[in-house]
Amino acid sequence: MSAPESVDALELAVWASAVAMIAEEMGSVLIRGALSPNIRERRDASCALFDAEGRMIAQAAHIPVHLGALPEAVRAVRACGPRPGDVFLLNSPWAGGSHLPDLTMIEAIADGDRLAGFVVVRAHHADVGGMSPGSMPQGATELVQEGLVLPPVRLEREGVPDPELLGLILANVRTPDERRGDLAAQRAACAAGAAGWRALLARVGAPRLGAVGEALVTYAERRAVARLRALDGAVGRADDVLEGDGIDETLVPLQVALSIHDGRLRLDFTGTSPMVRGNVNCPIQVTRAAALFVLRSLLDDDVPTNAGIAAPIDLIMPDDCCIAARAPAAVAAGNVEMSQRLTDLLFAALADAGVAVPAQGQGTMNNITFGGAGWTFYETLGGGQGASARGPGPDAVHVGMSNTRNTPIEALERAYPIRIETYAARRGSGGAGIHRGGDGVVRAYRVLAPCTVTLLTERRARAPRGAQGGVDGAVGENRLNGAPLPAKCRRTLQPGDLVELWTPGGGGWGPPS
Amino acid sequence: MTTGTDRVAGVDVGGTFTDGVALAPDGRIVAAKVLSTPEDQGIGVVGVLDALLDAAIPVGRLIHGTTVVTNLLLERTGARVVLCATEGATDLLELRRQDRASLYDLGVQHPAPLVPPEDVVPVPERRTPEGVLRPLTAEGLASVVAAVLAHEPEIVVVSLLHAYADDAHEQALAAALRAACPGLEVVTSADVLPEIREYERTATAVAEGYARPRVMRYLEGLSSRLLASGRPAPAVMTSGGGMRPAADAARQAASLALSGPAGGIVGAAAVLRAFGRHEALTIDIGGTSADAGLILDGEPLVEPGGVVAGVPIALPRVLVDTVSAGGGSIAWIDDGGALRVGPRSAGARPGPVAFGRGGTEPTVTDAQIVLGRIAAHRFGGAVALDVDAASRAITALAARLGATTERTAEAILSIADAEMARALRRVSVERGIDPRDGALVAFGGGGPLHACALADALAMRTIIVPPFAGVLSALGLAIAPERREVAMAVLRPARDWTAPEIAAACERLASRAEGRERRWSVRARYVGQGHELEVPVTPGEDGSAVAARFAETHAARYGFTLPQAVECVALRHIASDPGAVVTFTRDRSAAAVDLVAGIDSGGPATVEAVPGPRSLALPDATLWVGRGWRATALAIGGWRLDRKDA
Repeated sequence: MSAPESVDALELAVWASAVAMIAEEMGSVLIRGALSPNIRERRDASCALFDAEGRMIAQAAHIPVHLGALPEAVRAVRACGPRPGDVFLLNSPWAGGSHLPDLTMIEAIADGDRLAGFVVVRAHHADVGGMSPGSMPQGATELVQEGLVLPPVRLEREGVPDPELLGLILANVRTPDERRGDLAAQRAACAAGAAGWRALLARVGAPRLGAVGEALVTYAERRAVARLRALDGAVGRADDVLEGDGIDETLVPLQVALSIHDGRLRLDFTGTSPMVRGNVNCPIQVTRAAALFVLRSLLDDDVPTNAGIAAPIDLIMPDDCCIAARAPAAVAAGNVEMSQRLTDLLFAALADAGVAVPAQGQGTMNNITFGGAGWTFYETLGGGQGASARGPGPDAVHVGMSNTRNTPIEALERAYPIRIETYAARRGSGGAGIHRGGDGVVRAYRVLAPCTVTLLTERRARAPRGAQGGVDGAVGENRLNGAPLPAKCRRTLQPGDLVELWTPGGGGWGPPS
Repeated sequence: MTTGTDRVAGVDVGGTFTDGVALAPDGRIVAAKVLSTPEDQGIGVVGVLDALLDAAIPVGRLIHGTTVVTNLLLERTGARVVLCATEGATDLLELRRQDRASLYDLGVQHPAPLVPPEDVVPVPERRTPEGVLRPLTAEGLASVVAAVLAHEPEIVVVSLLHAYADDAHEQALAAALRAACPGLEVVTSADVLPEIREYERTATAVAEGYARPRVMRYLEGLSSRLLASGRPAPAVMTSGGGMRPAADAARQAASLALSGPAGGIVGAAAVLRAFGRHEALTIDIGGTSADAGLILDGEPLVEPGGVVAGVPIALPRVLVDTVSAGGGSIAWIDDGGALRVGPRSAGARPGPVAFGRGGTEPTVTDAQIVLGRIAAHRFGGAVALDVDAASRAITALAARLGATTERTAEAILSIADAEMARALRRVSVERGIDPRDGALVAFGGGGPLHACALADALAMRTIIVPPFAGVLSALGLAIAPERREVAMAVLRPARDWTAPEIAAACERLASRAEGRERRWSVRARYVGQGHELEVPVTPGEDGSAVAARFAETHAARYGFTLPQAVECVALRHIASDPGAVVTFTRDRSAAAVDLVAGIDSGGPATVEAVPGPRSLALPDATLWVGRGWRATALAIGGWRLDRKDA
């Protein structure tokens, strides 16, 4: 056996497995216990484990947009002087959050009276108050319109719950019972993670577990750097736009200059739009998540997901920038739509640098939220993935920064006054090519009660691009009773109204015959 | 029916070997092994029976574990299915659940659906949770029937929205199809899986249709082959660990998808009960993979769900968590400099370096050999082990890591152990079960070699290495209870489900399944949850008793309850007849345990206890007694291991 404070190459795989298992267990407890379809069916959630120094040791990512975005949340909690056994809740994008519906729970793991690390559970809640049911409003211009803003607050102090604070939170949301249940499931997931971490501590002791964390992080970094070194000298540029800031349809330009040198990935976003009035802005942690996702997709699947992968990335941001937003900007759509466009942008820059990447996928999450008296329903829809040199693009899947599942029609219709009249593949929407882009989907919602619908969608005017001569995918379409709806909008609906989403197809690869 | 003089036989068909176990009327066990016959598994089945039994001794009952369904799903060689689905929702199989096949590897495709889009026929009907919205008219029926017949299907599957709540439209369409084309097989989704969630129900029903014609043909062929040799038709092990007569099993083809692995855990449960214990984790380690399972109350844990070859089959199945770690898993060094093991396996060909069949990359088995845990002269009969070659391969790897050969070999085992321990934790900890409370039952060729390290990792104190560890699946088959399972959707709040209503529902299910022992259970959840917990119920109880039991289970599993109503989703009923009784005893006629040579031939146990570390060659595997462990030969055959500090 090696010395307690050192971990060598022979043990890394064992420890990587042991810590990944803890994060996996947390995810499993969360999904089994949660109430809302968005968490239990669609799995819009992530779980992670941090050591006492605030380094991310493992993450069970269901959703790439949470990738690498959690360290900011732990940093914010550590700035509050956490005591062992404290449990925090936060959603403020200025203190580690992404957008307000993502409620992040963080437990400071107690090992006796020592602080042994942190467990983090982020889950997208179906409503956190604000101007519009579902808290994914269209047209918000300040954060406070989007819902209840929580800087890190203590739900429990050294293990003692604060029912008044929970009461305050529940009093500010539209569906308090569901929130209470989902928060209980998040709490159970934290407890499972803390128990797993304490069991490891009991087995090997704090000094050795500290060395394990260090070794795993540097190991992931070595693997990321090894991949970047293989691409040394790559230089590329790309630009793209968002189709409106959520208030009007003025394009929001994005630009990046990418270079890979000496094992580091440098992304310079100079030329990207300043902050905009609407809510497609995103905090820098979302931008970092997009960069991480793109780098992650270049690595082998088995590289452990921890703080080490982020180490070789340098972000250069202009001072006033829509992808490094500051208070009081509104951000609800930034997490879901700006993050997708960032992914497209970065892949395009890689392609420009000569790295083999797939054609563009649907590039949107197709966010749709219905809200009526006492209920809100939120979901996102899959579409076409871009084709690649390896083969056609997959049909009807989430691309880029999302990977949530659909809501079963039967579960949806039992829970909400909505009927799904069509749920079908959108045939022919993938771009032609040697390899065809994936097809989008068609989903038609007949509403059965008065309500509002809010749409936050993209790629309704500018198609996902083909690659190497492949044809572009079809743009998406939104409709109300057959008439076109804008990409981002809010409408009041009467029983019998029909809302249709036709999601974009993926780009083709190689010239079609 | 088994008479006093008939034998009971279990036959398990695996990838390489077909294993057979026969129980004599006094409960004693005889085992045999022949090579599998993939072109027709039935040839091997009859072959192993011939090897086991004098044809003059009648076989009263034959229970069969088969990989026919697994193989046809893997190879995509099932029937041509025409699917009838509600108009507007005909693409469910393609749309799946919209999550992608790999989070980061963007080019990976999901496996193609079992029914291509051109073979899906829309049905002009619609039901909602409230009732029928669009009736299925006579004209509608006629047009669907015509469209289906134009496809000349081998079999038809009907899966309509909300059929879990009311399958009148499914039944009407099935009747119309059968009337129009007598002899046509029609599967309806509510018959196969009367549960909410259209994708999983449809996919399961389609798997049934896809597998059924081949399974019928196979079981008919096997039955007549057996009849020709004077033996009765077989019963077949289901994924849920019960067994059904061949004629019934052919119509529940999807429930045979995990027939093989279920047998092993049923066998492990029988050994555990014979040993007087009731809670255990199980680990079955082969050449390329390891299967982890869970036994609670003396029975394998049965849960709905599971994916076989990319096809979701949401039927009850004995919980098995498979990981790619086994004796053939290859050790390598990745681009971050870390030593890794698997998922690539040397399999049987070329196999480990020590087998001398051309393998050049060191495997888990090579590490065992280098550490002296597998004695060269006792391994698997025909294979002569090349210890030097194994040692050279591991030394080469060690040199690149700057470590000693011995430490590298130990690290290879630790890494494989970590993967297996992870599977064991998934089946237990994720279900709120503390593994420390149970025993670890270790079997398969590699189980007894890894058992001590796995028990150490999970802080378990007792290990049981069953007798006949190499043919435990076949043994499990021989002693499986005859078991029928029926279910109905309920979907109502627990509190207004009255005792008479529950009793009537139990009675209705009982009328559909015969058996001496009867158990009922309710799958329940808090209103709004998506996962259910299963709690027992007995006729005479009311919904509030179910709700209370649910809350208790929820608190035990997840650590919290909610001030929320409890909703019952499904009522399930299991009717069973007890399986054969088996006497596990050491064979008095065989040679004794020879500690000097480190060999246990299954003979009388004259030794009190064997302290670790040391290895012991068993009749069909090698047992490694780890440091800090003590092995005791069991009168029932096999071994028990205890941690010394226990």
